[in-house]
Amino acid sequence: QAFLQMCNLPIQVVCRANAEYMSPSGKLPFIHVGNQVVSELGPIVQFVKAKGHSLSDGLDEVQKAEMKAYMELVNNMLLTAELYLQWCDDVTVEEITHPRYGSPYPWPLNRILSYQKQWEVRRKMKAIGWAGKTLEQVLEDVDQCCQALSQRLGTQPYFFNKQPTELDALVFGHLFTILTTQLTTDELSEKVKNYSNLTAFCRRIEQQYFEGHDKDSSATVAAQSAKRSLLR
Amino acid sequence: DVPVLISEDIVISQPAKILNFLRKQKYNADYELSAKQGADTLAYIALLEEKLLPALLHTFWVEAENYCSVTKPWFASRIPFPLSLYLPGKMSREALNRILLTRGGPPLYSLTEVEAQIYRDAKECLNLLSKRLGTSQFFFGDTPTTLDAFVFGFLAPIYKVCFPRIQLQEHLKQLPNLCRFCDDILTCYFRLTVSGHSPAGQDTADANLQKLTQLVNKESNLIEKMDDNLRKSPQHPPRKLTTLKLAAGGQESSPLNRLSP
Repeated sequence: QAFLQMCNLPIQVVCRANAEYMSPSGKLPFIHVGNQVVSELGPIVQFVKAKGHSLSDGLDEVQKAEMKAYMELVNNMLLTAELYLQWCDDVTVEEITHPRYGSPYPWPLNRILSYQKQWEVRRKMKAIGWAGKTLEQVLEDVDQCCQALSQRLGTQPYFFNKQPTELDALVFGHLFTILTTQLTTDELSEKVKNYSNLTAFCRRIEQQYFEGHDKDSSATVAAQSAKRSLLR
Repeated sequence: DVPVLISEDIVISQPAKILNFLRKQKYNADYELSAKQGADTLAYIALLEEKLLPALLHTFWVEAENYCSVTKPWFASRIPFPLSLYLPGKMSREALNRILLTRGGPPLYSLTEVEAQIYRDAKECLNLLSKRLGTSQFFFGDTPTTLDAFVFGFLAPIYKVCFPRIQLQEHLKQLPNLCRFCDDILTCYFRLTVSGHSPAGQDTADANLQKLTQLVNKESNLIEKMDDNLRKSPQHPPRKLTTLKLAAGGQESSPLNRLSP
């Protein structure tokens, strides 16, 4: 969403229970443009670029390499940590994830589907060596990642100085979610809040790209009720 | 679980834990890096693990010809019987599992599609590394750091192991600065002669080495007599070693570089 807003492209956000099944790769998010469906950030960026909109044209080769490396860092550490917390931490799974994931479905489908997803995620964690990690170690990794992002951002408004790029959109997406999602404990969001330039970064992007669009966007009721604000 | 570091009675596995242990013993190659460079290190290591590692695992453990003719006999020869019959197969299955779980899945439905995608990613990763390295000797200037060690650890097997199926090696050879990077580290730190890759022959390399050794001895005497004002910084990283910087083409006077071990 942040990326598309930064490209100044009009979008409409819709929530659906079967979104994962609609997506061609099984992963979210995806966009539906005309008669084409494109999923996941990488392909969406490529698709938008092919249509003539790009945020990273002004970067030189070394900067583009750096941007890709940082995007992989976010995927490697933040995304995996989020998945771990949602699906491998028993307390969170019981109290938050199972109810939320199974909410659109009647019993027993809600339990079956969420157990299936949990099994899938745990298998993947085992393959990459995260299954043996404790929650503290995962939080340590998140802290290390946030420290790296904070050091890279420094005092600049965006990661590559004046103009936002897809890296800014990706980081914003993850950090905003971490900061605004209610979990059983606040440990994860505390890790991010330790770095004031990261919270300032999120607030800035939210104000610039999401506040102004609230009034004239044609978002559906479902999306509006799901919207949360950092400023609350 | 390899690699494993055994120090006196302590056994440590996994690169991250080994690095932590070494840092506690005051061995740190990143001592002189800025905060931003430290952050870059983490980012590039993540890039290597996400984009290059699957293809590396595939080349070693999943590609049938490579596995049967090189990897399996090689590993089996170092593992005691009867584990040598079981472990290589297990490692191969784990590698395939990891590749499929992390990179497989729709819209890639067959193993060949997954393979094509991971090799594309690996080649892109090598290109990015090459662009980032440019013409410098190491990734952060003239002294090697943790990132150089990580990159070398990933690149050297691709570069040096003679596999029957070598598409990744061929791609790597088209990036001369990465090849030169591997060769430099091999000659500096592993004392292997670079046969067939450098233009200078064995004799020239020996003569250079002698000249440089004499220079080192002279310079180390000079440094002891040097003024405080001429030193770069008053604070010295712990346990520093003076070492040589091998210049290609045999220059007369190479500057001394201080490297933290």
